[in-house]
Amino acid sequence: MEKTVVKIENLVKRYGELLALDHFNLEIKEGEIFGLLGPNGSGKTTTINCLLSLLTFDKGNIEIFGKKMTPVSYDIKKEIGIIMQDVAVFEELTVLENIDYFCGLYIRDKALRKQYIEEAVKFVGLEDFLKFYPKKLSGGLLRRLNIACGIAHKPKLIILDEPTVAVDPQSRNKILEGIEELNRNGATVIYTSHYMEEVEQLCTRIAIMDKGKKIAEGTKDELKRMIKNTETVSIDILNLPDEVKSEISALPHIYDTIYNGEKLTVYCSGGKHNLIRILDVLQKKDLSFGRVYTELPTLNDVFLEITGKALRDKEE
Amino acid sequence: MQVFNAFLKVMKRRMTSALIYVIVFLAISFSFANSKSQEKVFKSTKLNVAVLDEDNTPESKALTDFIGTKHNLKQIEKDENIIKDALYWGITVDYVMEIRQGFSQKLEAKEYDDLFGNYHVHDGFSDALMEQLLNEYITAVGTYQASGMTTSDAMKHTADALSVESSVELADKNSEQQNSDFTEEFSAYFRYMPYILLSVLISVLCPVLLAMSRKNIRYRTNCSSFKTSAYTFQIFLGSMIFVIGIWLIFMIAGTIMNGGIFRGKTWLAVLNSFIFSILSAAIAVLIAEFHPSDTAINLATQVIGLGMSFLCGIFVPHIYLSSGVLKAARFMPAYWYVKANNMIAGIDTFSSKEVAVCFLIQSAFLLAVALLAALVHRTNYSASAQLNK
Repeated sequence: MEKTVVKIENLVKRYGELLALDHFNLEIKEGEIFGLLGPNGSGKTTTINCLLSLLTFDKGNIEIFGKKMTPVSYDIKKEIGIIMQDVAVFEELTVLENIDYFCGLYIRDKALRKQYIEEAVKFVGLEDFLKFYPKKLSGGLLRRLNIACGIAHKPKLIILDEPTVAVDPQSRNKILEGIEELNRNGATVIYTSHYMEEVEQLCTRIAIMDKGKKIAEGTKDELKRMIKNTETVSIDILNLPDEVKSEISALPHIYDTIYNGEKLTVYCSGGKHNLIRILDVLQKKDLSFGRVYTELPTLNDVFLEITGKALRDKEE
Repeated sequence: MQVFNAFLKVMKRRMTSALIYVIVFLAISFSFANSKSQEKVFKSTKLNVAVLDEDNTPESKALTDFIGTKHNLKQIEKDENIIKDALYWGITVDYVMEIRQGFSQKLEAKEYDDLFGNYHVHDGFSDALMEQLLNEYITAVGTYQASGMTTSDAMKHTADALSVESSVELADKNSEQQNSDFTEEFSAYFRYMPYILLSVLISVLCPVLLAMSRKNIRYRTNCSSFKTSAYTFQIFLGSMIFVIGIWLIFMIAGTIMNGGIFRGKTWLAVLNSFIFSILSAAIAVLIAEFHPSDTAINLATQVIGLGMSFLCGIFVPHIYLSSGVLKAARFMPAYWYVKANNMIAGIDTFSSKEVAVCFLIQSAFLLAVALLAALVHRTNYSASAQLNK
């Protein structure tokens, strides 16, 4: 049976009048890459801060590796690595000195630390930049240094708080591959993000948060099964008569149709061969149409349907 | 000692400005001390004097030789234009004297008027100096003659008598109060020290403390298994080593300059500077708690360093400051530092009780600044915890 690495029970955190976490529960098993999804202000970072005992909470219980987590649980903290959205390194220290400093906060043994640092440097591919100061590194290299500082001590639980914000696609892919490799090497990963595609690609299980509550939890397939939409059919078509649109809406498993004068979007809920039935109606009416495509639901659809709003803010 | 090592590494990157302050201060102090020590050797002034001997007798030659022992003899033609050029434009002579014809005869006859003629610039100084010398000479010759000596013997005895150099020692204004182990230049060295201590400690310690407590780095450190108490202790240790290191550099330089720093009352000045060093570090910590930018740190260094220096008697001695300024200065620690320093140096009347009061007031300032820094730290911590959501 898989061991429970993180267990959060009935966590309540208030900032004055604001209820940041509302009886929040979570259980993460060993070896998982667990995604914590939610819009800004949903309580993701507050959850992480409570988990790390950086914030006190009003009610609830947190256990990590089967032990109660407190601010002085140094034996637990020793097994945790944290990688934040903002790069947290000393500008005044070189790449090597930075990794050595942060690794040294966990590993006192110099020989072991040296070995771990070498492995971390190799893992993030910074061998040629050891004597560089962070200001001389590109954005992608700086992120890799940030990751090296967080994982050099070989933690069993790695918490990544939106590590790919403002990162170019190439570096993002490298970071995601790195996280998968860390997981393959035995680390349990908690990954918070509002990048749906990353979470979908990476995470074995996902919890969706909104207003301090967990509103859904499961694998991505389980989450997708929770929503009504199973397929969205889009057809480029000009001059669609209203009676044809009504006829399509009346087909089985179709729960909504939208026509904007150029494109017909049909939302299906379950059923098979929905596309064939829709095209059959159009052919019978002798209507010509252009591009036709179907989409399976994404986590964004899940989030949209569950919370009634998009995951990412418009400006993001 | 992971945090301590990182603290020192970060500090190493910030040491340039500290070294500039220290080197400039020590260079100025050493040159000041050397120039002062040269001033302490008394040397009588010598004029460039040309003698026109119209008498040309053994007596006139004896007088010329005597003048040569007191001043620098110069040759000059007896031409009024040349003499005036030499005096006014050439600056080759300060005084031209003429030994008039009949000089020896007049001396023999004990007639002492109109023996000499002269050309000089009316600057008062060379004129007075030469006239004083000649009057002294003639008066002495007359005195010896009156005692029955011949003219030549009288002139010989006069030359001998006037050749005796007086032993001259330069006494300080408050020589009776002056602490002999705490010289004027050494007290000035200690007097200027607060400016350098404030400048160095604020400009170096502030950025280092800021680097160590940068939000993200502190977050990552707090997440680690490194104990908070050990972290705080190592930062404190790093700061103290830097402060004491800077203070020791000044004390070692002072020892070299003065030949010792624990003699007489000097140890009180050492203690005074130590208390002020710790106080300066506390001020740097307080400033760092406000998370200023580099520009703001530079501004704070100048405002606090120069402000205290001008108002509290570091750059301008207390006697030149108005009573209003001195009253305001009492609310600043540097005033009490300078006051103690003045008493230790003997510039003001020494009172061990008052020196102790000065130390206590500085210590009270230190405590107040440290408490304020702790309060600001706590407020910042609570605020960041509230915002960290």
